[in-house]
Amino acid sequence: MSGPTPTVEARLRRLLAVLGWLSRRKGASIADIALRFGMSEDEVVAELELAACCGLPPYTPDQLMEVLVDDQRVEANLGADLARPRRLSGAEGFAVAASARAILAVPGADPDGALARALDKLESALGEHRKVTVDLDEPPLLAEVRRAVEGHRQLRISYYSASRDEVTDRVVDPLAVFSSGGRWYLDAHCHRAGGLRHFRVDRIESAHPTGETFEAPAPRAVPTEVFEPGPDVRVATILLPASAASVTDSYPVRSMTTAGDGRVRVEVAVGGEAWLARLLLVAGEGAEVVSPPELTGVGPRAAAAVLARYR
Amino acid sequence: MDRVERLTNLLLVLLDTERPLTLQQVIHTVEGYPPGRDAYRQAFERDKRLLREQGIVITVETVDGEAGYRIRPEDYYLPDLGLSEEEQSALNLAVAGVRIDGRSAEEAVWKLGAVPTAATVLADLPSLPALPALHEAMRSHRTVSFEHRGQRRTLDPYGLLFRFGSWYVVGMDHDRAALRSFRVDRITGAPTPVEGATFAPPGDFDPSTAMPEDPWRIGEGEGVAARVLVDAFHANLVAAELGAEAVVERRPDGSAVFELTVVNPGAFRTWVLGLLDHAVVLAPEDLRRAVVDWLEPLAAR
Repeated sequence: MSGPTPTVEARLRRLLAVLGWLSRRKGASIADIALRFGMSEDEVVAELELAACCGLPPYTPDQLMEVLVDDQRVEANLGADLARPRRLSGAEGFAVAASARAILAVPGADPDGALARALDKLESALGEHRKVTVDLDEPPLLAEVRRAVEGHRQLRISYYSASRDEVTDRVVDPLAVFSSGGRWYLDAHCHRAGGLRHFRVDRIESAHPTGETFEAPAPRAVPTEVFEPGPDVRVATILLPASAASVTDSYPVRSMTTAGDGRVRVEVAVGGEAWLARLLLVAGEGAEVVSPPELTGVGPRAAAAVLARYR
Repeated sequence: MDRVERLTNLLLVLLDTERPLTLQQVIHTVEGYPPGRDAYRQAFERDKRLLREQGIVITVETVDGEAGYRIRPEDYYLPDLGLSEEEQSALNLAVAGVRIDGRSAEEAVWKLGAVPTAATVLADLPSLPALPALHEAMRSHRTVSFEHRGQRRTLDPYGLLFRFGSWYVVGMDHDRAALRSFRVDRITGAPTPVEGATFAPPGDFDPSTAMPEDPWRIGEGEGVAARVLVDAFHANLVAAELGAEAVVERRPDGSAVFELTVVNPGAFRTWVLGLLDHAVVLAPEDLRRAVVDWLEPLAAR
């Protein structure tokens, strides 16, 4: 792996990490170190040869770090101090505590298990206790869906599509379950759509194994954006009252500018008419679609449909 | 000489010394500084700044009328956590399983003495620029000041909570003299510590109970009981969201009436409108009226 030349800061952090790790295990193959720390083998050799020249005055051999690099392996005999855990910066402490809390919030996690104990010890050392809390929701079918992912079991699901405001039945091969932005999603191959789709687990109304299993493909990383515009996605320009600008926090906004009358003008990728209707109704008076023309009636129609329920 | 070598030596020397070292002593002990007083002074200043930017605390004490430098081991190392191997690997897996702010989490695991494990990412938490500063203030019990939705707030941060897909900071609001929560993504700019202001956090504080679980419960006052009729089409999803105990009536057509305690009418309206024409507010009359008043200008367009 070779990327751009790392900065001095990044190299120093990495070297200290490698030395700390080596000091606990005495030796390792160069290939192993390269893999674990995201370096090329040449970088490993160069950095450790450099470390072999570091130490304390008077820099006689007995005061230098004992690092021996041959063509495949590194042998190291380093002081116990290097193996000690180091203080975390504020950002690091937060990242570790939040990560551990998130995993503990996953339904089914053991509240008294190894992770909970580790976190207790870490938080005590950081001088805080249970001050970072992560709540992940727990939709009723989450456990069922996770079991299907683990067992590669095909499911027949009844799914509510919010963007189209309809419920459809589909057969899916469940590939992965993950939580993003506080919601649980199922990544699955959908036989109805003929491709990979994300499903919100809290919108799955029922899930039953079909009895079939499927061959699991290689694991894939969580997509950075859960909202994946399909072929029927259109871009709309809408005006929103300034008081509702924050509504767009949870929508895929492409651009946002201030209109002459104090409203904000946003461009959004429209997932479906029901989705757009919801955005407009929540934004309230002054919310309107400017273009495309076939969507300008969505807001008034949706408002009228809801009002009809009140008459 | 490679600067990383000089920095590593500087770090080892400052960490090893029991007495603070003056600039002269550092230059003579650590190899690689350029000759000439201005040149080595500048080079040392740059190294010192770089180490400090890495979060390494360099203590300055006066030695014979001159500044002396050292790194105190208690500032550099964590107190022994006493993690068992099982606990250590559970922590590694947790960090690998959550994507929050890639680099700092990975390097935190390095500092704790482990190496990130390849694991499937299970959860994705938003990372916001204001979070580390709020976390630091919470840990060090310092009052912070920040701009939230255009208003300046002064807060004793007691805890951080991730809920409804957003981060909230919960604490004692100085201006309102009451417990409040603020959405962190609505904070503009960096939260800053208030000079000299510290606080004693309540011992039994739990951020998750300090904030209600439903958005329409957040606010002032007792709240009113609202009844909402939800179509068969949505009744099961809503029952899953609110809990079966919120169902006060099941109708033969599959629709259901739910009862909710509403403190924040705006959040309640947003929730009801999210159900489009599949839901209707039955009571109380003023909440029902508020939905109608809200929608009429939209329908008139």
